[in-house]
Amino acid sequence: MPESLSVESHVEPHVESHVASPAPAREAAPAAPGRPRKGPWLRLLTYAAVSLGALVMLFPFLWTVITSITPEGSLAGGPTLFVENPTTAAYRTLLETLPMWRILLNSLWIAVVSTLLQLVTGSMAAYGFARLTFRGRNVVFALYLATLMVPMQVLVVPLFIEMTTLGLQDTYMALLAPSIASAFGVFLLKQAVEGVPRELDEAATIDGAGHLRIFATIVLPLIRPALATVAVFAFMGSWNSFLWPLVVIRSPEFMTLPLGLSTLQGQFTTEWDVVMAGSVFSIVPIAIVYLLAQRHIIAGVAHSGLK
Amino acid sequence: MNRGRRWRNRGWVLFFLAPSAIPLVLFTVIPMVSSVWVSLHEWNLISAMKWVGLDNYTHLLTDDQTRSVFLHSLLYCLGYLPLVFVGGLGLALVLNQQLRGRSFFRAAYFLPVVTSWVVVALVWKWLLNPTNGLVNTILGAVGLPQPGWWTDPTWALPAVILSSAWKDLGFVMVIMLAGLQAIPSDVLEAATVDGAGAWQRFRRITFPLLSPSTFFVVIISLINGFQVFDQVYVMTGGGPQGASQVVVGQVYDLTFRYGRAGEASALSWLLFGVILIITAVQIRGQKRWVHYA
Amino acid sequence: MKNLARRSAAPVIAGLVLTLGACAQGSASQSDAPAASGGVTTVRYFNFSANDGHEKDLDQIKAAFEKANPTIKVKIETTPYADYFTKLQTAVAGGTVGDAFELNYENFVTYAKSGALAELPGVDGSAYKESLLKAFSSDGKQYGLPESFSNVVLFFNKDLFKAAGVAEPTSSWTWADEQAAAQKLTNKAKGVWGDYQPISFFEFYKTLAQSGGQFLSADKKTSTFNSPAGKQAAQFLVAKSGRTMPTEADGAGTPDFDSKLFKSGKLALWHTGVWMFSGMADAPFAWDVVVEPGNTTKASAMFTNGAVVSAASKNKEAAQKWVTYLTSSDVMTDVRLKTSWELPPVADESKLASYLQAGKPANRQAVFDSLDATVLPPVIERQQEMQDAVTKELSAAAAGRKSVDQALADAQKAVDALLK
Repeated sequence: MPESLSVESHVEPHVESHVASPAPAREAAPAAPGRPRKGPWLRLLTYAAVSLGALVMLFPFLWTVITSITPEGSLAGGPTLFVENPTTAAYRTLLETLPMWRILLNSLWIAVVSTLLQLVTGSMAAYGFARLTFRGRNVVFALYLATLMVPMQVLVVPLFIEMTTLGLQDTYMALLAPSIASAFGVFLLKQAVEGVPRELDEAATIDGAGHLRIFATIVLPLIRPALATVAVFAFMGSWNSFLWPLVVIRSPEFMTLPLGLSTLQGQFTTEWDVVMAGSVFSIVPIAIVYLLAQRHIIAGVAHSGLK
Repeated sequence: MNRGRRWRNRGWVLFFLAPSAIPLVLFTVIPMVSSVWVSLHEWNLISAMKWVGLDNYTHLLTDDQTRSVFLHSLLYCLGYLPLVFVGGLGLALVLNQQLRGRSFFRAAYFLPVVTSWVVVALVWKWLLNPTNGLVNTILGAVGLPQPGWWTDPTWALPAVILSSAWKDLGFVMVIMLAGLQAIPSDVLEAATVDGAGAWQRFRRITFPLLSPSTFFVVIISLINGFQVFDQVYVMTGGGPQGASQVVVGQVYDLTFRYGRAGEASALSWLLFGVILIITAVQIRGQKRWVHYA
Repeated sequence: MKNLARRSAAPVIAGLVLTLGACAQGSASQSDAPAASGGVTTVRYFNFSANDGHEKDLDQIKAAFEKANPTIKVKIETTPYADYFTKLQTAVAGGTVGDAFELNYENFVTYAKSGALAELPGVDGSAYKESLLKAFSSDGKQYGLPESFSNVVLFFNKDLFKAAGVAEPTSSWTWADEQAAAQKLTNKAKGVWGDYQPISFFEFYKTLAQSGGQFLSADKKTSTFNSPAGKQAAQFLVAKSGRTMPTEADGAGTPDFDSKLFKSGKLALWHTGVWMFSGMADAPFAWDVVVEPGNTTKASAMFTNGAVVSAASKNKEAAQKWVTYLTSSDVMTDVRLKTSWELPPVADESKLASYLQAGKPANRQAVFDSLDATVLPPVIERQQEMQDAVTKELSAAAAGRKSVDQALADAQKAVDALLK
């Protein structure tokens, strides 16, 4: 079985001759087909389609915002586009019933730390798998992937028992533990490192650079789009994580956002305007993280300093 | 290779892999191994574990319910993957062009990815409401049949697939955008000079050079797809009548609602086997179509 | 009795931690706070019922208890109902469950039979309503104390009845009266529905009792609901769907669907619990409640929560003092009545008098009248599976995918398998 999982990377690409000579840095790299000549009608059509799609995508978020400012009682039925008496009551209720700032800070802290850790551990492992040759490399990589194949739902109980055994339950460490490294990030970054032309390493090696320097000065800058992507998903994973924090945290001072929001849902009734206000609180920070990361995802090559 | 260099190489391997390997072993592999142990027991979490050997596995393998939940997970993947892949790739290609306001569009398409399933499920249940939902209203207006969506056993799973694909479009888009950025523009320009049309360039250059990203998306989507849970849990709860119950939904119910944690672990390991085989086949086949630089 | 789960599972996993080379700095020590420091014992109490609105009320009871017992401190941990049992079970498995915790009656048997609960010695039973106290015993031993109860009554929108010229429900109503009124009050064109009663296990076991049927045999070894009475009950529920009551496709069963419908004035009759009183207090129309109609006999659904002491607790004595106070003190009675937070389980009904004047609805007496004939849910060890199986079959019948007879036969098969 181990052999069957071989992850070979020495494949002749169709366009090797082009890739072999790395492109000089350019302003935004439009890889799009057909940019230069395009009929105005096609362009208009594209705009119309993209805008319509965006509207469909934005709709739930708009609904969330609208519901959060709709006075309770007028929630029955579907969403309305115009709110008759908009109110911030739901936000005030939210801030009164939950220590929102503390909760946000907790979530932010855990998300930032686990994102940074995953970027470090993930990019290092990606370099190891893509650039170092060692016996059993494919087996080890397969084992990494295997950690993604057992559902969290079944790992929660053993992990919890392990944490209590280590005396770590109800701590920040326990919240962080399962997200220090993720095979998802390793895999995505490994694909990116494989895309960095080996000629660059070889040139650097001739110049006397070691692995650490190649990693830090050549590979890392070139995989910035992938790093930014991993950052977004790592942040999101931690930000939305529910089951593990639910089980491992019992002191209110460690409460994270999803845990806090779940307390708004009563056993018999739920005040949806308050729940939606909470959802706005939870969506906005991630949206900001994405907007920050997006610039790196897109501008990666242009500024990579490929000199 | 002389001994000193080999040791140095090992040192580097350790240096680069240990930071991820140690936490993965501690916080994922150990619980995984423990769950193998649990799978050999009858256990409701609150009383003593009782050794039952392979009984959980034999019971699952002869149970109709097992077949049904695996079938639902498989159908989910078959419906979800093409939708999300084609949609996400198309979106990435469009939004990689010089388009006014493309940053806004990229953000808009990504917003559902970060929105919680609780909210998304509410919205989709409303959109797909059989009697007065927007989707059925439109279908009715153009004279198409109006399915019962999440209230109808035949349509519950398609409803989940549709909303999942909608939510994850932005995920695929972002990965593909990052992949597109890595394609050197001079290659495409050279091809344009050589007289290649847009489709030619996509087929001969962009798509092959995107293959590492495609490979990633397919592998991850299938690994995640077989473990689909959140959306099913909040949208249909596995119903109506178990028609949309998936493997991990069953795992959750068995563990936390039905007090059959041993069986849940065994079911997870069956799922593990299926995902492992599917992933292995893909990794094997990648030589034929995945091109790294 | 020791916590068996912890004894068997934890060492194995701990062993794995060690053999796989983890840095087990804490070895097998629990980080639970030391039981007693400076002569003060801390009791940890897990609960769900204070979530979403009653946190302060529980704190008030706790403060009074601590004042009366200066050597005991109570640490309350509240989790929403939807996630409570996930968290509780994991805590029991990991040996970190609190000294005392809350259980609803439906889950009590599972925990008692699993050895997770400590027997409570020397309980003064006279303080509690007898049937409730008995609900929290198992094999003749007291493993828990009733903490609160609530029951289900028939809510009705007075304005809708008036507009339709239909006589308001009374305590002598039967199913036939309800059906006839619901039929007249339903006006689909206006989106007004006559009736709402969830098609679920909980409504079924009750309507079964209202028809004189039994859910389980006396020895609890077989199910007995697939009977003429059972068919009548199931038929009664299923026939409402789509006729006088919204169907699943109309939105029934989605969160808060029924409360929204009633509150927006589009529902005439509504079978639900007294826990809805406070939520409906500001409804913009006149409404009231009556005892639920019966079929051949009267029977009202009753739900009860109890407080138990963990078998793994190191402070069982202090924990029992707390749960005793929590379930029987006058402070508790007072707080619960004042805040409409379910009803206190006290034996002396005169203590409940203030409840009758606590605001809408006017006919709060119906809550007590219902107590004359209550029926607790049937409870078995594999409770949740039984509830899910029955609800699943009944909703299949309601959606027209199965005949009522077939659904009951299938449900019987499923439940009997769980009783083996």
